Amino acid sequence: MNPEQVVEEAVKFGLKLGADEVTASMTRERRKMLRFSNNSIIVMQSWDHTVPAVYLTSKRKRAAARVGDPNLDALMDVMKTLKATMDISKPGEVESKLPKGPFKYEAVPHNYDSKIPEMTGELTGIAEEAINSALSEGAKRSSGTLVTNEWERYVKTSTGSEGKDRGTSIELSTRAFFDDDASGMGVSCATRLGDFDPTRAAREAAKIACQAKNPVFGDEGKFAVVFGPSIMAEFLSRVADFASAYYVDVGLSFLKDKVDQKVASEKFTLADGARMPTGINSCSFDDEGYPTRNTKIIDHGVLKTYLHSSYSVAKYGGELTGNSFFAGGTWGLTPIPLNVVVEPGELRFDELVEEVKNGLYLTNNWYTRFQNYQTGDFSSICRDGAFRIENGRIGQPLKGLRISDNMPRILQSITSLSRERQWIKWWEVETPTYLPHIAVEGVGITRATK
Amino acid sequence: MEDLVRHAVESASAKGVDYAEARLHIDSGSAFTLTNGIPEPVQLARERGIAVRILVDGAMGFATTNDLSKSSLESTVEIAYRSAKASRKLIAKPIRLSEQKAEQANWEAKARKPLPDVTTEEKFRVLEEIEKNLQPEIVKVAVPSRTLILGDDITERYFANTEGARIHGKVARVNLLYVLTVYDPGKGTIQRIGQHGQSGGWEQLEQWDPPRLVSDEAEILGKMLTEGKQAPRKELDLVVGSEVTGIVCHESCGHPQEADRILGREAAQAGESYLKPDMIGYRVGTEAVTVADDPTIPNSNGFYLYDEEGVKAERRILIKEGVINGFLQNRETGAELGVSSNGAARAVAYDREPMIRMANTFMLPGSYTHEELVEDAKEGVFIKTFMEWNIDDRRYNQRYVGLEAYMIENGEVTTPVRNPILEITTPGLYGSVDAVGKEVEFEAATCGKGEPSQGAPVWHGGPSIRLRKVRLGG
Repeated sequence: MNPEQVVEEAVKFGLKLGADEVTASMTRERRKMLRFSNNSIIVMQSWDHTVPAVYLTSKRKRAAARVGDPNLDALMDVMKTLKATMDISKPGEVESKLPKGPFKYEAVPHNYDSKIPEMTGELTGIAEEAINSALSEGAKRSSGTLVTNEWERYVKTSTGSEGKDRGTSIELSTRAFFDDDASGMGVSCATRLGDFDPTRAAREAAKIACQAKNPVFGDEGKFAVVFGPSIMAEFLSRVADFASAYYVDVGLSFLKDKVDQKVASEKFTLADGARMPTGINSCSFDDEGYPTRNTKIIDHGVLKTYLHSSYSVAKYGGELTGNSFFAGGTWGLTPIPLNVVVEPGELRFDELVEEVKNGLYLTNNWYTRFQNYQTGDFSSICRDGAFRIENGRIGQPLKGLRISDNMPRILQSITSLSRERQWIKWWEVETPTYLPHIAVEGVGITRATK
Repeated sequence: MEDLVRHAVESASAKGVDYAEARLHIDSGSAFTLTNGIPEPVQLARERGIAVRILVDGAMGFATTNDLSKSSLESTVEIAYRSAKASRKLIAKPIRLSEQKAEQANWEAKARKPLPDVTTEEKFRVLEEIEKNLQPEIVKVAVPSRTLILGDDITERYFANTEGARIHGKVARVNLLYVLTVYDPGKGTIQRIGQHGQSGGWEQLEQWDPPRLVSDEAEILGKMLTEGKQAPRKELDLVVGSEVTGIVCHESCGHPQEADRILGREAAQAGESYLKPDMIGYRVGTEAVTVADDPTIPNSNGFYLYDEEGVKAERRILIKEGVINGFLQNRETGAELGVSSNGAARAVAYDREPMIRMANTFMLPGSYTHEELVEDAKEGVFIKTFMEWNIDDRRYNQRYVGLEAYMIENGEVTTPVRNPILEITTPGLYGSVDAVGKEVEFEAATCGKGEPSQGAPVWHGGPSIRLRKVRLGG
């Protein structure tokens, strides 16, 4: 049975079971991943998955299931259990309605490249090129991950929506080492091979690694910081998550009750670029069958909207944003950002560094953890190249630094953004993020003392 | 299902590979959630699929599918084979696997009350009881945001390889996750994300007494919020409870002693280690410190008896009396370092490669009571629980921020303090431990590693421990 038939039969079966509304989706992913470390391939992996998912409503009750089995019989079996479970559960707070279709879906341009799914042997060549580029820049060893993906998605709802969509992507994240204390990271990700530049990513990683050699321990205190795109992508993809009505609902967002309020510097504009032509997660419709759109989340410092599902609109008001997907830590329909996009500033990177004059340039981070999601108090560890900015130039490499600050304060303290932007997506940044270098004043830095 | 696994291995073997294995999972799970007393969607997951891993001329290929037809299976074997062959050109050092006994076994985590026998009504009843116990008149503070998630899952696995290993295993787990935000009009908010989890049946959850457990947490949070004073920022003695000891052992002992990190395999993702292969015997702490990782603890969250490479699980002593004693090994790192695997290869789903993971990591007990640890500290802080923590990707520079914490004055636990911060190196931490308690407790957690990411169920724990002369600050 083909995917269109499976989602159609699932919707019919859900209604037959007595659900008021049903949405069914089916996603097939064909993914390859080549991982390398110490200049050598460690494994090449391949996945071929077809995953149906369903969501049922009955008055104020809701239920969802994800079934890692492409057969309709398996899906129907789970749906029976789901409906029986829903029948004996208590009703929720509000009754939500799936959007009424049909809708006209416009394909996102440039998000499919038929050459990408065919690549297998070519992946080895790309990895070799990345490794050799890093070594030729002076790095001693190179590690990384090269991923290709082709996806097809089918959605049908009992409220008249029906669509199919597809996309491809290719991603390289690579880390170069000059020695144990001197490393750098570079990323290239694209929906088409023509936009993919593994050599640039590898050279960038190696350049940072070589520049970072012989680091000294940095000082504690408050500093003006130029954040590289990788580190800011890790912060801002979280901010976009916090704009999901789901995180607001469960009390894990400092953006709660802040719509129409100033939450960031007026120089800062953050959007969900769900229809960006080069966005890896761009697509035409969400899993409720509602058309996607580009949504400004923070516009010149003011929080404009949360990202919504039909349930969160019923609960909080506002408009559907086309962000409701079977995704994330829950298996239900959850509003999630697809591609995080930050508006650029006007300065070149070197001008940004010059403007900061004395401070820090931090290229990457990992392990951000919050003490309190509602206040935004957090810390995060610097990783890869970190440098002093001295008299407007990048200077002494540093190590052992931790950012210990408050996320709302950081957003309010953005002073400048560069005009060049790049896509970041890697192990620590799951949501593709398109952003510039960003300067922030008064950033708290701490370090181990024993 | 065993036939499918055997067929995959035989298909691979016919291609003349150096080694092949197949692993089939049948997984199911459910989650029931109350957010502020309101039921969230009931969630069910069902998943089954097969993974094939093939070694050809020192190159590794891995492929998976959830289409279990014979043709799909053969195609998956072919893809894994071609992937390995395509990689050969860029292999600096051929991958080898350590020699291991070809095990034949059938194992299961025992349950007195099997999860499939527990009704939906019973699961909601537990959540509603917790919710009832979080009302302000009971916990003496407002808890305006409450998310309670009760989850269970069952995973059944069939494994076979070209060396003759044949293993079937089955584990059920139950877990409770709660996110509490406590509010006071004059003091703001304080948050806690708590998790409890064990393998076995419903009887495990019953013994936690979830309504009491969560309401006790809320009441303590209220006390910290309303009575907590500013934490000191200076050098003093520190006693940490088993929850903090556990995260310390997990982050700065378990992770840096994963041999794949030490050899650089995870460099681009989870990072490397401050330890090198030749550092067995390196003194990292005082003689009071002994840390183990043990998958075989019955009913533990990280329980297993055979790993995902078919190797029998065993207790591993990672730090012995302050000295690095051994690393967590799989067959690949074992071969490279000239030792056997100690059964640390885990895969959280059929579509994930087996990789080195912790199971249940803990500090072994000493001889002190908690009172004895405290009474010998003239001025200090006791950190019982934490919320924020992190560590660098070489597992050397770490930070733990206390949640439930108190001053120690003249050998007694006194007033609550807010957010005391310990920021310290790994040798600095283990080198400051002068006394170890005798009561071991465990906490459940989900450990992240790997690409694609694998969240593995683990326990970490230990007794309360005392650290002499460490600086609190941040």
